Amino acid sequence: MKIAILLSAGRHPVSGAAVLPRLEAQAIRLAAGLGQHIGLHAGPEAAVVAEALGQGLAHIQHAALPEEADPVPALATCLAALAPDLVLAGRRGQGGAETGIVPYAVADRLGYPLIPDIIAAAPGEEAGTLHLDQSLGRGARRRVTIRGPVVATVHPDAPASFAYAYGQARRGVIEPVVGALAPHPAPVPAVEERPYRRRPKLVKGAPAGSSAAERLKAATGEAGPASSGRLLVRPDPDEAAREILAHLRRIGVLAAPRDPR
Amino acid sequence: MTGLASLTTVFPGLVWAMAALALVQASRRAALWRLGTAASVAWLDGLAKLPRRYLVDVHHVVARDAYASRMHAVVAGGLLAASVLTALAILPPLGGFRPYWVLVAAAFGVTAAGSLLVGARRYPEKQKRLSAGRFQILPVLLVAYAVGGTVTALLLAFGGADGLLAPLALALAAAGGLGLAFEVRHGPMRHAAAGALHLVAHPRPGRFEGRPDTALQALDLDAPRLGSEVPADFAWNRLLSYDACVSCGRCEVACPAFAAGQPLNPKRLIQDLVAGFSPSEPAYAGAPYPGGRAAEGARGPLARLIGPDARIHPDTLWSCTTCRACVEECPMMIEHVDAVVALRRHQTLERGSLPEKAVGPVTDLRQTGDPGGRPLAARTDFAAGLDLPPISVRGEAAVLLWLGEGAYDLRYGRTLRALVRLLREAGVDFAVLGPEERDTGDLARRLGDEATFQALARANVATLARYRFERIVTADPHALHTLRNEYPAFGGCYTVVHHTALLLDLIRAGRLKPGRLPDLSVTYHDPCYLARYNGETEAPRAVLDAIGVNRAEMTRSGRRAMCCGGGGGAPVSDVPGERRIPDLRMAQAAETDAGIVAVACPSCTAMLEGVPDRKAEIRDIAELLLQAVEAGR
Repeated sequence: MKIAILLSAGRHPVSGAAVLPRLEAQAIRLAAGLGQHIGLHAGPEAAVVAEALGQGLAHIQHAALPEEADPVPALATCLAALAPDLVLAGRRGQGGAETGIVPYAVADRLGYPLIPDIIAAAPGEEAGTLHLDQSLGRGARRRVTIRGPVVATVHPDAPASFAYAYGQARRGVIEPVVGALAPHPAPVPAVEERPYRRRPKLVKGAPAGSSAAERLKAATGEAGPASSGRLLVRPDPDEAAREILAHLRRIGVLAAPRDPR
Repeated sequence: MTGLASLTTVFPGLVWAMAALALVQASRRAALWRLGTAASVAWLDGLAKLPRRYLVDVHHVVARDAYASRMHAVVAGGLLAASVLTALAILPPLGGFRPYWVLVAAAFGVTAAGSLLVGARRYPEKQKRLSAGRFQILPVLLVAYAVGGTVTALLLAFGGADGLLAPLALALAAAGGLGLAFEVRHGPMRHAAAGALHLVAHPRPGRFEGRPDTALQALDLDAPRLGSEVPADFAWNRLLSYDACVSCGRCEVACPAFAAGQPLNPKRLIQDLVAGFSPSEPAYAGAPYPGGRAAEGARGPLARLIGPDARIHPDTLWSCTTCRACVEECPMMIEHVDAVVALRRHQTLERGSLPEKAVGPVTDLRQTGDPGGRPLAARTDFAAGLDLPPISVRGEAAVLLWLGEGAYDLRYGRTLRALVRLLREAGVDFAVLGPEERDTGDLARRLGDEATFQALARANVATLARYRFERIVTADPHALHTLRNEYPAFGGCYTVVHHTALLLDLIRAGRLKPGRLPDLSVTYHDPCYLARYNGETEAPRAVLDAIGVNRAEMTRSGRRAMCCGGGGGAPVSDVPGERRIPDLRMAQAAETDAGIVAVACPSCTAMLEGVPDRKAEIRDIAELLLQAVEAGR
């Protein structure tokens, strides 16, 4: 099996030093258990991802791009040439110029499906298939069986990365991608950008002033909103849609239905 | 008379034959040492200093066990004297001179007495720390050689060489003597040949010059292979040094990891290295690795040493606290810690197989310059409300206070606050690097990550080069050792002083006027990196005496103190054992009935204070002194 790992130029959240993002280091470990793996980086400098060579990656392809260029077309071109069975990426960026949207954009461009938040990967019983275990949060897991090629993003719950080995990093190879890759200007994001603002987390229905244990019980236990849901097994699609709409209205995502006069 | 004439030739001839056999056996052994890598050895210097190294430095260690010292003097002195005198009797004037044989008989008699002393350690039951196996036949061979030699020499002195007794006595001496010479290759007598050569070609000759030659040697990061994976990766004089091991087990008695039931026994480790490069080595017959498995794995100069399936399990390697207790106790001057670090370097740098729990701290060190991944600017947070000037303001200070990793720790912050207040009280002109201080890299280096250590060392040396200061003062002996002894290899030569030494100077100069605290009963726990690595044991005690506390010593103190378990990355490696090292140390402290255990190191503070159900308080010397200064106002 051939695995490509998208590497980005991350920054350490505390020191600001150029580091390999943790999720991508974990992706290397997932890939190492599967088969032949190669790193892929598109950006002005290859040195920023050289750290990956010490963490279980022997080979990195580097597509040289100017500072502000969009990496997605270059990555897609390289991936099309590599034809991997699995493309692994981090689920989010880590402080540098990278972004968690890239794997989605790459998958979109190549027409590959994208499975987010995986924590384990194994070859499926049938040739060409993969078992990918997704983390759904709070310990919940879901196994997806899919026929490749596929893009998957790695969740922090995946096994910890390999330790950095200086000797291996010395021996690793960074190979520039030959053939001119026309730099595309970075796409203008179709979203509004605002500075991050912390919002208070509201636990609905939490009894104010009661003990921590009571608030926890209200949030998770029998008494709270967690217990108020209804379990529908193979419901009629109309009934399911009505139920979802009712829930969305209850928690205030959708406005109440207009009064049918 | 023909019988006498022939015996005066045959008996010295036996000794010459022994010497020849020993030489053959030693050269077979030397062929194995030559498998190691090259090392520069000052041969002439070493040879000239051999007698002094043996009689002074080795004796200093051996004499800690008075019985062993006396036994060794008698048996080795007697054996050497008797053999040399007998060998000289090949010259006819001596061989024919009867009183000369009286002298020879006396020498053999001394050897016989020594042989019995050797035997008494092993029969009827051997001392626990000694190895059995081939060592058990040593007293038998010695007795045979000595008794046979005594009788033969007596017959030559007083006549009767024609009788039936002479061939019998000679045969006994031959059996013992040739047996001893044969044992030079695999048996106990190897320690004599390899040990003497090891003293000549010692990899740390500075040890014998009276200075603590304890800095780890810098690794060339451009070398084709980093660290030691197989026996052939060690320098030849290191392989030689492992052959010098006499399996006396003093290291295992001193080893904190062994005492805690972690799978490390320094003697076994050295013997495993020996067995690694000597495929026909007889089976090991000493105490095993606690809770460890039987030896397995391939042997040979190119066989991997470390691995779950190799001779040495990784847990053994990562149990070491690098406290140097084994090195301190070794009468053969073997450098166990160097071996451990060389093996760790390969594991970390080439294989990336650090212990799972150590990966995080080492990664953080590499990426942030702090093993906890904390912001460097937060290092001075402990001093909120205190005046702690950063050196970048003036660019110079008389004293640069190196805070170290302990500054992030809430408990140790109390100690540093006490120290800062004492420095203010004494009017010392000091400053800190503040956010420019990176970790010294001590943890990375002991765990084998030489690349991260060298990067941090170069960064710190570059930072320090920008400022002017007379000396560096630190309360962390690990930082002290690294800055004082290991940074010179990277171009940073500083005067580094431990805070206890500075405080003592300030008291003696009258700049601190402590009151007396006679109600406190205190025992002082020596940090390994201050006492053993740097030989500083007196200043902390002098400070305690200056404040008039009631001071008691633990059984193991000074250079022979037991480790707290906090060094060498052992706390982050966290290899499971049957007991915890700090618990053992606090139990030793409890034997003194002292209410306070005085410490002088952030690691010791954290390890000892973490002991549950402890009866004694843990206080740094600086805290006690501050209390005394406040009491004296």
